[in-house]
Amino acid sequence: MIGQGNPHTGKTLLFVPGNSFIHRINPLTKLVGLLWLAATTFMLPPMGMAVVFIAAFAFGVIAGAGAVFVRRLVLTVTPFAIALFVIHGLLIKRPDMIDYGLISLSPGGLTYMAHILVRVAALLTASMLFVTTTHPAILLKSLDSHGISPGIAYLISSPLLLIEPFSARARAIRDAQQARGLDLNGSWKARIKAFPALLIPLVTLALSDLDQRASVLDGRAFRARPFRVVLDAPVDQPYERWLRRLLLLALPVQIGLLLWL
Amino acid sequence: MLQVEDVSFHYPGGVNVLSGISFSAGAGEVLALVGRNGAGKSTLLRLLNGLRKPTRGAISIDGRNTAETPVHLISHSIGTVFQSPEQQVFNATVRDEVMFGPKNLPLTAQERDTRVAAVLARTRLTDQAGQHPLDLDQAQRRFVALASVLATQPPALLLDEPQRGLDAQSRSLLEGIILEEKAAGRCIVIVCHDMEFVARLATRVIALADGALSADTTPADFFSNSRLTSEASVEAPDILRLSLALGLSPCLTPADFAGAWLNHHHLNASQG
Amino acid sequence: MALIAIENLVFAYGPKMPVILDGLSLSIEAGERVAILGGNGSGKTTLAHWIAGWLPRAAMNATSGAVLANGKAWPAWTALERAEAVQFVGQIPMQQLSGFAFTVYDELVFGPGNLGLEPDEIRKRADWALDICNLRHLVDRDPFTLSGGEQQRLSIAAALVMHPKALVLDEPTGNFDPESRDNLLDQINRLPSDLTIILCDMALKPALAIAKRFVLLDGGRIVADGGAQEILSHPRTSAIFGMPAVMEAALLLQQAGHWPAGEDLPLTFGRAQEQFGRITHVAG
Repeated sequence: MIGQGNPHTGKTLLFVPGNSFIHRINPLTKLVGLLWLAATTFMLPPMGMAVVFIAAFAFGVIAGAGAVFVRRLVLTVTPFAIALFVIHGLLIKRPDMIDYGLISLSPGGLTYMAHILVRVAALLTASMLFVTTTHPAILLKSLDSHGISPGIAYLISSPLLLIEPFSARARAIRDAQQARGLDLNGSWKARIKAFPALLIPLVTLALSDLDQRASVLDGRAFRARPFRVVLDAPVDQPYERWLRRLLLLALPVQIGLLLWL
Repeated sequence: MLQVEDVSFHYPGGVNVLSGISFSAGAGEVLALVGRNGAGKSTLLRLLNGLRKPTRGAISIDGRNTAETPVHLISHSIGTVFQSPEQQVFNATVRDEVMFGPKNLPLTAQERDTRVAAVLARTRLTDQAGQHPLDLDQAQRRFVALASVLATQPPALLLDEPQRGLDAQSRSLLEGIILEEKAAGRCIVIVCHDMEFVARLATRVIALADGALSADTTPADFFSNSRLTSEASVEAPDILRLSLALGLSPCLTPADFAGAWLNHHHLNASQG
Repeated sequence: MALIAIENLVFAYGPKMPVILDGLSLSIEAGERVAILGGNGSGKTTLAHWIAGWLPRAAMNATSGAVLANGKAWPAWTALERAEAVQFVGQIPMQQLSGFAFTVYDELVFGPGNLGLEPDEIRKRADWALDICNLRHLVDRDPFTLSGGEQQRLSIAAALVMHPKALVLDEPTGNFDPESRDNLLDQINRLPSDLTIILCDMALKPALAIAKRFVLLDGGRIVADGGAQEILSHPRTSAIFGMPAVMEAALLLQQAGHWPAGEDLPLTFGRAQEQFGRITHVAG
């Protein structure tokens, strides 16, 4: 059975197996916490956002996901930072532009860039903390055991499970079409012409799968009852339930304050 | 026509999937590629049609080195029919689907039409020419995939389990087409688990075991040798096993067996 | 009362589509092992869907006739009732997976969870199915990373945990190599003997391995219904399936007048070896 410490075999998940206290928190608590943190980030000054980023990163390291965090941050934030630098640091003309030979930089623009980047980094690390410490299977069990519609849980699970077989099929289609003479490496015109030959089989097979799988699910009485029986649902401590209620109550209050003030 | 010279292959960072494979085939030969799952047949298939390049050694088809030729151009030398025709179908009609290959060849419109009409007739799809390929049954879809390859008239054919999912009537049509292509001088490689199919059609058996070539011989010699069949994890066709069990010469077909049986017993009757 | 009763079923997938099932009537009793054999385009898969209650659905209804399970037409069954009556396993292993489970075990408990069974009952059924289908060593694996044969065993196990009265198998070994096919057939033969099994296939070997009763489907109609010998000697059988090579050899000798009168034609290698070994005199 999937446990907190069992590795998952899929390549698409960012989940990092572990037994830290963050791993052991109920997934619903983490999900609500993430939503609250995301909303709060928009209310905080830059220093506050930096604290959120550093704290989330630190927790990520404690959870054993430090390497994943660094990789994702670099991959996601770097191009974003470059774009912001060019737009706000160089291109947008501000009163405080300083000339440095060929280029002019705006300290105000760079500060603005830094504010956006720290918010993005805070949101990203908070989200990463959630996905690296929460296996989707555990999240599903948590949603199921709290009476959330199985349909919603299915919307979470199936893309994660099907992305790898879908990619494998896309590669098989590409191979099959190349082997019958489709030029995928030629001019732009040739590549655009080749696109239907790659896309149409992918879509028709996906639709066929969908049809079959819908019948399979129906045959196994999926959604025949409003709730499912869940084995090995994650533990949900009373204090976590109170914490979630508190955070969910705080959310609209915080948003109201933000709009009012 | 087909030359495989000391070919080895491994995926990046992986162990050798194929080691030191060498064989060749000429016009009019039908090679059956056999072996258990994991022996390397699928990999060899992808090396033959250029989808993968050997990590060592060379493969040439009709004079073209597969490592130096783009895949879509290798398809002019060797046409591949994969197991799942649904992975290739993207045209709205059978005719358009079969026309796809000839459209990439230097032919006039009339030549293309003639060729496609002929191929549809051979594969008994003339009446279905205007239908969507996915509205056809499984066997007809396979023949659409076959027709689309035949229409390009490549010197070599690569068929991946072509007989799977076909009833006897469809299988008989397929065998007839393979024999016609053989007679026309095409070099045909068939990846196959059906040993009766192999026994009826193949001129040679190429057996793989654990990524290495374990046999390159005639079907009669291959199936008569229990060490070879065991290494390739295949079972000889029932009719051949029966002929050997009864002390007859190895028979590949029921007709061969009936003839051998009658000869044996008439011979014994005349001696007795 | 028959477990499944098909009464003059006429069906096409659409108003302008060709008729797939053409006035078909068939009755299957509880506990039977039936093989429904047919060639390409004979209507086997469509019939399998009707028997399993996958049809009728949406706009796809019978033109006439009906399929009754325990005397009641499928539309009168609820999804819960149908799930415990008949289960279906199709040809393409990956399409049988729910897309809801990250492990083999979760795939197994998915169906019983939908039925609302007690957790202990669910665990008991899952354990039983794991052993019957030889899946215990794969219990933590992602179902989508299993081989085709393993996925198919998992699909059968996921069907069994619903404790259906009948299991419909549509060419379950169609895409397999001989070794995997034989393993799966072996597994199917170890299923509980009181389970009704309906195998729809175009190959004789799986049918001969599993079934006691054989129904021959041709052009959407039943043309034969009986034991193995009756089906194999039917005029349409060799046209649709070819016949076992050993049988064909004996038939050639029979046609040439060199086969003993009253001697059945052999169906299997073993029987052929025994018969040919015994026949020493050849007439003519």
